[in-house]
Amino acid sequence: MNKNKVFKGLMGATLLASGLGGAPVLAADITITMAAPDWPPTRFMKEAFDAGYTSPAGHNTTLDMDFIPWPSFYERVAASLTSGEQKYQMIVTDSQWLGAFVEGGYYMDLTDKINADPELTAIMQDLHPALVSAYSTYPHRTRAQLEEAGVVPAPGVAYYGFPQFPDTYVTFYRQDAFCHAGEMAAFEAKYGTNLPCTYEDWQDTDWKKFAQIGEFFQRAKGEMLGDEVLDDDFYGIAYQAGKGYDFSSMQVNAFVWQQGGDIWDESKAPNAQAEGVVNSDAAVGAFEEYLSMIQYMPPVARTGQMDIFVEQDLYMQGKVGAIIDWVGLGEPVLDPSASKVHDKSAFGPAPGSRQEDGSIDRTGNIGGQPFVLTTWNSDEVVDEALNVVKWWLSPDVQINAVKNGGQSGLKSVMADPTYNDLRPWNRAHVEMIDWQKDVWHIPEFFEMLTQQQEEFDKAITGQISAKEALDAVAEFQQELLEDGGYIE
Amino acid sequence: MADTASQRGGFAAWLLDPKRRGALLVTPAITILFFMNIFPLLWSFGLSFFNYKASSLKVPTFRGLSNYERVLTDEKVWDRFQTTALIVGSSVVLQLIVGFLLALMFAKAFPMRRLVLMLVLTPMMLSFVSVGVFFKLFYEPTFGIVSYVLNFFTTEKFVLLGSPEGAILGIVIADAWMWSPFVMLLVLAGLVSVPKYLYEAAEIDRASKWRTFWTITFPYIKSLLLLAVLFRTIETFKLFDIVYIITDGGPGGMTETIAVYLYRTAFQFFKTSQSSALAYIVLFIVIVLTNLYLYAVNRRAEEID
Repeated sequence: MNKNKVFKGLMGATLLASGLGGAPVLAADITITMAAPDWPPTRFMKEAFDAGYTSPAGHNTTLDMDFIPWPSFYERVAASLTSGEQKYQMIVTDSQWLGAFVEGGYYMDLTDKINADPELTAIMQDLHPALVSAYSTYPHRTRAQLEEAGVVPAPGVAYYGFPQFPDTYVTFYRQDAFCHAGEMAAFEAKYGTNLPCTYEDWQDTDWKKFAQIGEFFQRAKGEMLGDEVLDDDFYGIAYQAGKGYDFSSMQVNAFVWQQGGDIWDESKAPNAQAEGVVNSDAAVGAFEEYLSMIQYMPPVARTGQMDIFVEQDLYMQGKVGAIIDWVGLGEPVLDPSASKVHDKSAFGPAPGSRQEDGSIDRTGNIGGQPFVLTTWNSDEVVDEALNVVKWWLSPDVQINAVKNGGQSGLKSVMADPTYNDLRPWNRAHVEMIDWQKDVWHIPEFFEMLTQQQEEFDKAITGQISAKEALDAVAEFQQELLEDGGYIE
Repeated sequence: MADTASQRGGFAAWLLDPKRRGALLVTPAITILFFMNIFPLLWSFGLSFFNYKASSLKVPTFRGLSNYERVLTDEKVWDRFQTTALIVGSSVVLQLIVGFLLALMFAKAFPMRRLVLMLVLTPMMLSFVSVGVFFKLFYEPTFGIVSYVLNFFTTEKFVLLGSPEGAILGIVIADAWMWSPFVMLLVLAGLVSVPKYLYEAAEIDRASKWRTFWTITFPYIKSLLLLAVLFRTIETFKLFDIVYIITDGGPGGMTETIAVYLYRTAFQFFKTSQSSALAYIVLFIVIVLTNLYLYAVNRRAEEID
């Protein structure tokens, strides 16, 4: 037989076999650029990715995180999206932005992907329903509506995001002061109730007691706090009272919901009204209670500039007894190089409103962020980005993230017996997450939020009353939402 | 050279003609200016007649002058203009007073004059953002230096930014601190140009200090003062950074200047067309002020001649 013929025949057979058998997929170099706020939960994600991510598809994947400072995060992301530069493949987004950027065509609908991928479906089913409601659905669906559907993913619901960092606000408090025998005795003598020292004590703390704590711990320079002489004025309590972004609204909403009031409910559009709801008697009473405690806070609260970073900073400087702040800001409090109270702090659930049956309603406004995919990526990049999502939301990675200051939204991870001990605020966070609701997600949210923040700021700085502020908010929102077709 | 060029013939020869060399050299700069400045200006002017939102996929439709009408009938816009006028007026007056007094001080020689002058000029060279951050920390009632010093007299923390009046005062002080040196330089230029023999003659005639100032010094500096007023008015009218950082327009919206409101409308609410209309109204006001400034500059030039 002719050797050349044999050789050619073998070559042809080999080529045919490889074609029929399926040639191996070529590994691609994929860069995923992700916009992220610059703080520990996202910094850790980058470190963990670089140290431990391997693409299941065999790609050479790089995660290029664009860390943006929080105060300018919205503007920078919005400017990037609307400019058409198509810079980001993934974005760590605030849940309130979903409507604006979904309607703008920037965020990718992941419903079909979730339905087609058993792994993603399993993740979605394992997520806490409060997080699915807030972080993923647009048009917004409440937790009750999703649970009524009975299945996840629920039919007729569009899903856009997965939790990158779920966040709640809890109480940070000075254990050295709250558990001091002398302070406890004096508090009990004055108010006839115990000063909360343990986690269980904080579980029974309502706003009335929180105000008493605020009054009790107002101390002037030179007075005693526990066993130490104060070298500066000391303040009892602090919570968000800042005009910027959503700071005051996040705390005011909690008061309103806990006391039977509500914000405009987009899930009931076009029937839900703003007038009569936003400025209901219950909402006014709740806002008045919020304002009544400003007097016990550091004086910066009266300027309307006590945002989450300012109150955290004052607490770390040792000037405040107890604050209500996001768990995402907990790590620096325990850092000896940054915090004077790193070895004196403990954490408990945030106070709530006592109900007629004696229970405490701790409904709060959810924080944290989901991450989403953008709409201009190739199928290959989309699949790889979803691999990153699956990697991030795998139990091992989530546990590691929690150890480094993050939080998990997965019920199975939060149910881990060691979870509550991984960080001192975890037990409070897990308890608080069940109470979470969210603010609006429609495209007009920023205009609504800015106007509301302005009116709240006028009330916080004493220019107008709570009723005047909420009347102004209700009137503005009613007109805006009617113009936008959200209210009939 | 010309013969060589003409020998090549055609367009190249026409282009390289020495008569066109100047235009050719300037063309790249003009092109960049057009694409970086003129084109965006014209584009945004065009947008102001549509209902375009940068965050929306909807195709914009022509709305004529309705955006301008909406802006000019918006109570909030007039409110912001009033706030801007109040801040501009207060800040410019303070800058004039402080700048003038500083100029009087530096018109005479004294020990370490140069060092002190350098220190006085430093605020003008700082960025708006750093000045805003400094003053925000100065005014912080819990640990800021203003509250700390006043605490010795009042025994209470001083909350400057908690009231509309206090917040406006805080912004005016920060802006005046930064730009009084500029006014000082202009006035100082006038003061040092006054011939010394006029002062000597006034002294011989036993003229009072006020009369000396009014009849000798003031005529030399009045046009420079006018320049300072106009220039600072134009700049302060566009004030954004200091307001945004120190008060974020609060308390409420009491210190929100028209520039901050414009920023919010454009980049937070994404009302692109409406904000373009407002921007052009602000531009018109600035053009009017600028023309006054140029008139004053020309008058000064004539005086010198």
